[in-house]
Amino acid sequence: MNRGELVPRRRWPAWFDVRGRHVSGWAFILNRLTGLGLVLYLIIHLWVLRLLTQGEARWNAFIALAKTPPFLVLDTILFFGIIYHALNGIRLTLVGLGIGVSAHKRMFWVLMGIGLVLFVLSTWGLWTMTK
Amino acid sequence: MSRQPWLEDAPPAYRGGDRWWLVQAITGILLLVLLAVHLIANHFIVEGGLRTYQDVVAYLSHPFVFVWEIVFLIVVTVHAALGVRSILLDLGPSPRVERIINGVLTLLAAAAISYGIWLSWVIRSQG
Amino acid sequence: MTEQRTVQFRVFRYKQGRERPWYDTFDVTVTPRTTVLEALQFIRRVHDPSLMLRHSCHHASCGTCGMRINGQERLACITRVHDIAGERVTVEPLANLPIIGDLVVDMKAFYAKFTPMAMPLIRHSEFLPEAEPPEGVDTYTRLENCIECGLCVSVCPVAASDPLYLGPAALAAAWRVVQEPRGQNVPEILAQVDTAHGCWRCHIAMECSAVCPSHVDPGAAIMALRGTLIRQHLPWRRKQQGGDAHEPR
Repeated sequence: MNRGELVPRRRWPAWFDVRGRHVSGWAFILNRLTGLGLVLYLIIHLWVLRLLTQGEARWNAFIALAKTPPFLVLDTILFFGIIYHALNGIRLTLVGLGIGVSAHKRMFWVLMGIGLVLFVLSTWGLWTMTK
Repeated sequence: MSRQPWLEDAPPAYRGGDRWWLVQAITGILLLVLLAVHLIANHFIVEGGLRTYQDVVAYLSHPFVFVWEIVFLIVVTVHAALGVRSILLDLGPSPRVERIINGVLTLLAAAAISYGIWLSWVIRSQG
Repeated sequence: MTEQRTVQFRVFRYKQGRERPWYDTFDVTVTPRTTVLEALQFIRRVHDPSLMLRHSCHHASCGTCGMRINGQERLACITRVHDIAGERVTVEPLANLPIIGDLVVDMKAFYAKFTPMAMPLIRHSEFLPEAEPPEGVDTYTRLENCIECGLCVSVCPVAASDPLYLGPAALAAAWRVVQEPRGQNVPEILAQVDTAHGCWRCHIAMECSAVCPSHVDPGAAIMALRGTLIRQHLPWRRKQQGGDAHEPR
């Protein structure tokens, strides 16, 4: 017998404890994380748009910057967040209204399949069309 | 016996229905269309992706686009504010703090929407 | 001789008056049939009689041995050590309920919410004709299955955040009454769950339904309550309110 290892104090909100989670639990956590990310993006996005009031040169300079690979990587992450949050949101709305509750796991994987296709297509579009 | 004995010690703010979830769901469904159009219009329509200054001004000067983007702004802000509220409520605030959260988020959302409308108007009038 | 092996049990310990909980580690020799509950009883008998744990029936009927095994809510009595991956098994009490000591949690808060909802479910006799599934109910998915083990409350991310949340078990009980009222006051039950800390608080993580050892499916029950409440408040349903608008589906 070995005594004395103290239980560590929790550093995260309880909903973020990922031990022993099932698919739907992970879906919930990922929904929150993508949601927080999207709120952050919304704030930054609105703030950056103020450049449009500062004349043509400043905006066009920013657009040139936004078309560089580091920004396209950020856009790719953004697309992932949007697509995941949107498709999982469809499931949550349906299930939350009492529709298709027993099929919620199947619904999740079907939507994620659709999401993968959308993500690949939009990312491909982003990287090939941006010039 | 009280109707809800487990709420007996709870402050009054904790009682009563809360259907913000429904608003979150409805704005979410609206966003599927609003955001999809916003993304396609701003990323995949213009030659070379992303709009230059002239592109943005021309885009927003179209009355339908202007209204569409404002509606998008309002809906996305409400959805975001409700989402943040839901996460903050999970940190277990007291009823007083909960009221402060509601107030601050309402103010922030109103500010974001006003700012966005002002911005769109300024850009549009530069055309 | 069946295959024996030694497994390390890392057991959550807490005694009232102590500032912080800690883990003790015990080596236990197990066979493929040994359950976690049996291993814990062995630890208590051989290594440390001060280990507090709760159990009764040993066959998933009583619901008293619910705990977190390697972070997963399970009934210790039907969880075989061999079915758990790894050479180390961490055993902790249920979450979201106050700890009395070691692996024993205080179920008082659970019953304060569950009992008012489940009281109408206490039938006079299950052998009377009215105990047959009524029209509109194909089979009993039977909340009567609920063994009140508290696994659903432990795994629920909302119960973790909001101590006033009614919780999966109580909401499932409420839905069972709405589904099959047998003369109970359905509007009253619906009013009790139609709160910011009732069925609207759920974040649809569906963990409760995943861990329920008794197939009660509380998640589906919560969603069904929402569906009922929303349909009830539809403008064209509201007009004809006066009893039948509260009827389920």
